[in-house]
Amino acid sequence: MRLPQQSTKSRDRIGLVLYIFYVLMLVLAALVLVKLVYFQIIWKPDPKIAGALTPSIVKRTIEPVRGNIIDCNGRLLAMSYPVYDIHMDCTVMKAEFGKMKNKDKGRQREEEWMRKARALAEGLAELNPSVNADKLYTQIKEGRSSGRKYLPIVKGVDRTTMLKIKSLPLYNEGANRGGMIVETRNVRKYPYGRLARRTIGFVRDNKGLPEEEIKGNPGLEGRYDAILHGKDGREYLKQTDRGRVRNYDSSYVRAVDGKDLRTTLNIDYQDVADRALHDQIDTLDDIEGACLVLMEVKTGAIRAMVNLSRDPNRGGAFEEITNFAIGRRCEPGSVFKTVTLLSVLSDGYYKSLDETIPTNHGIVKNTKMRQDVHILDWEREHKTKEISLLDGFKISSNYVYGALAVENYAKNPRQYVEKVYSYGLGDTFDFDLEGLLTPLVPNPSDKAVWSNTTLGTMGFGYSTEETPLHILTFYNAIANKGKMVKPYLVEDIEKAGNVTDRRGPSVLNASICSRAIADTMTRALLSVTEDGTARYSMRGVKCKVAGKTGTSFGTFPGGGYSDASGRRLYRGTFVGYFPAEDPRYTAISVVYSNPTRKSYQGGGIPARAIKTLVNYVYTNDPEFRSKIEKKSK
Amino acid sequence: MEQKRKWKLSDLWELLRNGFSAIITGNLLLRLNAGKYFNHIAYTFVLFWILIFESLMAENALGKIEKNNAKIKEMEIVYADKTFKVASMSRRSEVEKRLAELGSTVKEPEQQAITIE
Repeated sequence: MRLPQQSTKSRDRIGLVLYIFYVLMLVLAALVLVKLVYFQIIWKPDPKIAGALTPSIVKRTIEPVRGNIIDCNGRLLAMSYPVYDIHMDCTVMKAEFGKMKNKDKGRQREEEWMRKARALAEGLAELNPSVNADKLYTQIKEGRSSGRKYLPIVKGVDRTTMLKIKSLPLYNEGANRGGMIVETRNVRKYPYGRLARRTIGFVRDNKGLPEEEIKGNPGLEGRYDAILHGKDGREYLKQTDRGRVRNYDSSYVRAVDGKDLRTTLNIDYQDVADRALHDQIDTLDDIEGACLVLMEVKTGAIRAMVNLSRDPNRGGAFEEITNFAIGRRCEPGSVFKTVTLLSVLSDGYYKSLDETIPTNHGIVKNTKMRQDVHILDWEREHKTKEISLLDGFKISSNYVYGALAVENYAKNPRQYVEKVYSYGLGDTFDFDLEGLLTPLVPNPSDKAVWSNTTLGTMGFGYSTEETPLHILTFYNAIANKGKMVKPYLVEDIEKAGNVTDRRGPSVLNASICSRAIADTMTRALLSVTEDGTARYSMRGVKCKVAGKTGTSFGTFPGGGYSDASGRRLYRGTFVGYFPAEDPRYTAISVVYSNPTRKSYQGGGIPARAIKTLVNYVYTNDPEFRSKIEKKSK
Repeated sequence: MEQKRKWKLSDLWELLRNGFSAIITGNLLLRLNAGKYFNHIAYTFVLFWILIFESLMAENALGKIEKNNAKIKEMEIVYADKTFKVASMSRRSEVEKRLAELGSTVKEPEQQAITIE
């Protein structure tokens, strides 16, 4: 069948149009091909432009977020906190103003920019007193003329301040017109300031501590740096039209954030203990420092650890500088009499606290020890030549406890020393902080250190050196009916709220004495706070405290206990547990004096500081709530 | 037996001429008898188009990720800032100080709480 003539003509016209379009496209394709060959083979771009336009790939280390340190109730003690460093590109818009065809207008714009820079400098000075407006303006001016693109303005400001700075003249025009460069970095912040600083430790950021710095940083931050730090990540970034994005063709290592550390500290108790100690020592010029530790009886969890010493950078004010509780070893004084009493009771030399020994005018037989003149007062006041173990303990008689040690252990002093070791007072143990010192206990076989008087003086707390933590652990064992638990600071390690590594309590010695003897010891210790050397300081305490005072003297370079002018280095200690009937907490406080003529006894500052803490804990701790039963209908 | 035909330069020229005229007239693919492969050509074209389109989409998505990461980081900063401020204010002595500043008579309890069982 033939198609109509009209249709054939129309088809030819369409074909022609299509043909022309086809030829045009063909020519265009040929041109593109030629241009492509030209660009690929002949044309050489300007190296500067090529460098700027070629997408560069840069390696970036992804810093992990450092883990938090939290207290036993989940309150933040140390956290990572972002701060801003603000810089300025002083050259922004300068070239544009200079290129303006209307030179007057360009100059006016430049003057206006500088006026805003002046207002910016003044605004910054108002927000941050360390900024000098004139000096900063001069720096910006000089930077603009010399083409400085990275002028530091302020460092380490928080977000609120950064937002205020962002609203200042010039900076409110953005980066391209105002030249504001904002960089973020994470720093370590401590919401409770310097509270428990020596225990928590201190780092500036999460850059990773070198080995030597970890050793020199005795806090938890240093000891657990590897866990808190996490693992660095790595990624490669490429420049695209939509900014710098991760290059998925390159390798990528995800950063592993640090784990959280849940400590045993109770920050409220820490605050109260800190204030209690500050209140006692802040006004005293001849105090070197003091410490106070609160520990849970059953578990050994340390709920508060205060270490105050003078900070020369703060005008000698007391701050957390030195960890006395674990890093200061000294003769414990009368708090060691408890060791002697426990030893003679445990070894069966005495059955009751009411048994007596002769007063002997305060002279320990068969030794060259000095006479204890205080016992003469006892003889005179009580018209007796005998004194009971309890009374000797109550008045903290050096004679009684020197005599008990000599009379019962002179034939075998090693037996007494072994007792000291069995009470955990001769060894160190693995503690959550670096720097726990090993006690010094003389060896009876070593004639260089063991003399005729060593055993007797050990009996009342000299010739040995102990840290406050060792003494605390020993008293805690008595409170815990003989079971010695290890003091600890880290409850567990957590990741996003889930426990990954549980630490918790551990036992050092399942039984250092029988329950009956522990109860007898409690009776002796209670007598000290009720009728003995701590009775005045403990007046008004809200629950019964079983404790012991102790005072010793530090030695001067020549080896004497006083200097040429008769000044002494006091080490006053109070250690005890409460409530005496059912002990829940043990606490120790030690005060260290500089050479002084004043007296700083264990029954003074340390006992008063502990009383304040006891009253607070006893009132606020849910453990001690009194209960009334609802009458049933 | 017929001898095999040998190629000459003129044959090559003929081929180029015919090819060029075929391109000009738009008959190249038809002369090559490529019509039967049209589906494959179209499919390859579509595949390449999808590849380019997906690449652009991926880059677009990565750009969005970076923007969202920046937003998340900003939110984290706000959260950390507020957490720090709240934690700082919760210090017992700080609370007491603020209460005193506000003239409040609220103080630490002087007696234990009593639990009714």
